[in-house]
Amino acid sequence: MTMTLTRTATARPHSTRRRLSRLITNLWLVAALVLMTVMIASQRPQLLDPGNMVAILKSFSIMVMMILGLTWVIAAGKIDVSFMQVAALSNMLCAWGLSQGWGWWPAIAAGLAAGLAVGLLNGWLVAVMRLPALIVTISTASLCASLAAALGKGTVIRIATPGPLASLLEPHFGDAVPLIMLPVLALAALAWFVQERLTMGRYIYAMAQNEAAVRSVGVPVVGLTLVLFVFSGVCAALAGIILAENLASGQPMIGGPYLINGLTVVLLGGMMVHVGKPNILGTLTATLFIGVLFSGAALLGLPDYQRQIIQGALLLSGLVVAMLAARHHGERRKGG
Amino acid sequence: MAEPILTASGVSKRFGPVQALRDVEFHVTPGEIHALLGINGAGKSTFIKILSGIIQKDSGQITVAGQEVHFRSPEDAIRAGIATVQQHPELVADMTGLDNIFLGRENPRRGLLSRISQRDLERRAEALLERFPVDLDLSQEVGRMSAVEREAVAILQAIAGENTRVLILDEPTSTLTDIEREDLFSLMGLLKAQGIAIIYITHQLEEVFAIADSFSMFRGGTCVARMTVEEAKAGQVSLADLMLGEAMGDIFPPRAGTVPGEAVLELQAIALHGDFKPVSLTARKGEILGIFGLVGSGCDELAKAIFGVAPPDRGTIRLRGKVVTFKSPRAALDAGVFLVPGDRRTEGLVLTRPALFNVPLANLRRASAGRWALKRRRVQKDARTLTGDVALHPPSLTTPASGFSGGNQQKIVLAKGLYSQADVYIFVEPTVGVDIGARAKIYALMRQLSRDAAVIVISSDCDEVHGVADRTIALHKGRQVDPASGVFSRDALLMAGIMGEVAP
Amino acid sequence: MSGFKDIMRQSARGLGFLALVIVVGAALALAEPRFLSPASLNGIARHMAANGLAALGLTFVVIVRRFDLSIPGVAAFAGMSMGAVIAAGAPLWVAIAAGIAIGAAIGLVSGVAISRFGLPDIVTTIAVGSICAGMAFLYTGGRSIFQNFFQVGITDLNDARVLGLGVSLWILLAIYAVAWFVMQRTRTGVAFYATGENPVAAHFSGIATRRYIALAYVLCAICTVLAVLLILAESGNAETNKGANLMMPAYAGVFLGAAILGGTSVLATLGGILLITMLLDGFALMGVPYYYSDGMISLILLAGVLAFSDSARNWLNSFAMVRAARHAASGEKG
Repeated sequence: MTMTLTRTATARPHSTRRRLSRLITNLWLVAALVLMTVMIASQRPQLLDPGNMVAILKSFSIMVMMILGLTWVIAAGKIDVSFMQVAALSNMLCAWGLSQGWGWWPAIAAGLAAGLAVGLLNGWLVAVMRLPALIVTISTASLCASLAAALGKGTVIRIATPGPLASLLEPHFGDAVPLIMLPVLALAALAWFVQERLTMGRYIYAMAQNEAAVRSVGVPVVGLTLVLFVFSGVCAALAGIILAENLASGQPMIGGPYLINGLTVVLLGGMMVHVGKPNILGTLTATLFIGVLFSGAALLGLPDYQRQIIQGALLLSGLVVAMLAARHHGERRKGG
Repeated sequence: MAEPILTASGVSKRFGPVQALRDVEFHVTPGEIHALLGINGAGKSTFIKILSGIIQKDSGQITVAGQEVHFRSPEDAIRAGIATVQQHPELVADMTGLDNIFLGRENPRRGLLSRISQRDLERRAEALLERFPVDLDLSQEVGRMSAVEREAVAILQAIAGENTRVLILDEPTSTLTDIEREDLFSLMGLLKAQGIAIIYITHQLEEVFAIADSFSMFRGGTCVARMTVEEAKAGQVSLADLMLGEAMGDIFPPRAGTVPGEAVLELQAIALHGDFKPVSLTARKGEILGIFGLVGSGCDELAKAIFGVAPPDRGTIRLRGKVVTFKSPRAALDAGVFLVPGDRRTEGLVLTRPALFNVPLANLRRASAGRWALKRRRVQKDARTLTGDVALHPPSLTTPASGFSGGNQQKIVLAKGLYSQADVYIFVEPTVGVDIGARAKIYALMRQLSRDAAVIVISSDCDEVHGVADRTIALHKGRQVDPASGVFSRDALLMAGIMGEVAP
Repeated sequence: MSGFKDIMRQSARGLGFLALVIVVGAALALAEPRFLSPASLNGIARHMAANGLAALGLTFVVIVRRFDLSIPGVAAFAGMSMGAVIAAGAPLWVAIAAGIAIGAAIGLVSGVAISRFGLPDIVTTIAVGSICAGMAFLYTGGRSIFQNFFQVGITDLNDARVLGLGVSLWILLAIYAVAWFVMQRTRTGVAFYATGENPVAAHFSGIATRRYIALAYVLCAICTVLAVLLILAESGNAETNKGANLMMPAYAGVFLGAAILGGTSVLATLGGILLITMLLDGFALMGVPYYYSDGMISLILLAGVLAFSDSARNWLNSFAMVRAARHAASGEKG
């Protein structure tokens, strides 16, 4: 006994056209990145100078570290606007600990512990207490910012001795690549593996779509949400520690600009590979894209504020494209 | 006869003052397809929720394979081998059918950090399809699948991996076309052949004879009959009579007896693709027009089409002789059409707010006497009068609507309708979840309304439509069924709505 | 009778809130006697005016169950725009009108994007806020604007007094009175609340829900403009970071007020912002460094929301139940 459930099962377009369109969705941002790099470099060859490359890749590494966790939080349909202040807090805590004579390793541990604590707090309030993620993270963000400022009594704390990460920030490989990029990329690769090959990655995306469905098959949604916020907090804290090493100081106000940067990158990255879904590979590419764009813009003499406007416009247009893609995808959930 | 795989005896459940289930006796044997029948509110869904562990019984005994069980959560039921497919199965729309089937069970080692091997999933899917040879493209995303394909995915999800012995299907056919339904039945046949017992809830009585081996009839919170289809055929049992029990004519108000007045609302072959085929009817002042149709017959969609929620794509609507097109409920309300929606909790009321807020909501212009500021004292007076007219109990204007019983919530919606002073009132499922006393009051109010307005009652309760309306039609799978001559008798209306046939 | 009970419950919450204000005030006065000095009270009134206006704007957005994170950006751009108009020699009312027009336009963009096109509210308003924050630099590249500020009389908004109270407080009270009237006494208010609490039922009742969502964003942006106007009046110049500190107190005021007074409303926000401003100014008087203030606010906000949330209650209940069950079980065994 067989059924005729599908009448169009045959003649599926396994054609080259399908493969091509897949390739385009996977790689258009990479192509745009290459194109942009070539265009800017033709105007300002300094863009590809080893010195400039190191600067771009260093900020790339720090940025990726900062928003690796955020990528998944947003992919799961939640929001975290505290990550940049968590970085600021761990940055200041690290510097403050050093100024108290703790030594580097305890200082790093303290920074990480701060990220873990804030992540746990966020996750607990969102997942267990079911408070709105925005209200929770906006509050913990300003709490972290306050603590960060308080540690230095409102000012910068200088770090006298270079720490264990200092050598990682030195340029290598033809003086163009900072070593820090390798562990960051390794971590991203691990995250990519988790996202693509392990159950957790699958549940993250399923959760954003239909949390009830995921819960009804017995997936621990509360635990998963908690893990995501903790991961976001720890990643951001790690970024704050790298920043402390990189700037040889703790800067209480360092968080601010990373909010809009981070969100832009995550959402822009969500436009490739899995369209409409933030993902690790997209985040990597988009971070590099924004890094090159800003470096190029600075070389071309664009002031800071124009970059901010460009970034907002990028984010907004990214949102529109994502929404159109989702609508095209046949998702009929009402937006309100 | 084989040993029953699942039995229930003396199962009772009470929700506050309402006795939802009373001493239910039930059993089903392996390989049996068992239909669960009964009108809305008969207790079927409560019973199913107890069997699938969503709610807990107050008393009674449930056994699976001879062992007594106590389900505290859906997980417990699944572990005992009872899988349930809800009426609207929860699936992840942009994941493939394959990934949905094994969601949460990708790896025998459950947890967040287990490896997913897509090849392994495919192998397991193949094995599953070998047991149940369904011709289904599992690499397709569920969001792009048809209703029956989604149902099949949900069934496969329910039976995959676990040692499912009982499968509960909650109204799986309500949204399916005839051909799709045949597909589903053949899948059910495959499951039956594997020795899985299927409990199958349906409103479509003709399906019982097509697919089921036996059935249980629920009425008034208890199982009033259990018999095999052979027994029913041999005894010439009328399922419809069993379902309704003795007719309850006494709660309906006397019919108008007068000649209906002018035509207020005329539908001329309006249709909405995918929901209902051309419908033509005339609603007049002074009479109640009844439309009987089961869930999925397009009744709800017809009401919403008239009311401007999802406007029809063909045909014309005339209101007092003038052609109108309502693009939104606002336009319909302005023209004097009021809908008492079928889902009063989401569509009818702001539950967090009291009657004083809800009653004037659909006619804020009146509440502010055409100005901007509300005439609070006048609104309060009107609301008090109207809630008195509908006999709201308790007669509080300040208790949030969520604090009232279903019947009294519906009365608040009625007061809201009265406040709107419409010319056409459309009632959709007006008495679902409403107790008998409030029902009589609601019917009386409909009759009262019909003196000055056209009233249309749309319901899946045949007795209700027949009892309250002066004139009836039926909707069967989106197709209008008119009486052969004059008016439908109760049985003819039931046949028209359930089978789509016009009795001579 | 239940109506009477409801009124009692409402007034009980109100009385409880008043008691809270008195206790907090007394505690601050005990800790720092200068807290009750006229200068301090005047300062509270002034700060409350700016914070209160921003919070009022946010109230509309929260009533329709959305968020707005563009407040700092809108404040920066509108503040610099008004500064530029004043510096160009235009009279004060022209500057204010220009600011309001700019605010309304920005609010309309966010509002329509969110209500009509269904963009997610949080990220959309962050993007719009970022663009606005960037555009604030268009006039002077980020330098302070102060030309004409004294001639045009904007500082009167801060300094002048009517009946012994600062003009800014009167402005606040007047706008709150209008907002209260609109939200509680007109059909617009009813439509706003219905849109937020059950958009489907509101739609079925003939309410143009999308229009009210867009309107909430417009009102929020306009209120933000008025708030930053008072800040400009206080400082006597326009800078791009004016208004950077408006958002946290606004969120805290709205959600704390709603948590204590049992729902988002104009009065609840007024109460929330009063409490927040008292605490902020009290801490400032006591010499608590500025950098603690945001942290304090967010702690109060979190604690308030947590304490009054349903899930907190459920959670505590479930705790109690689990404990009772455990107790019963051990009792059976023993």
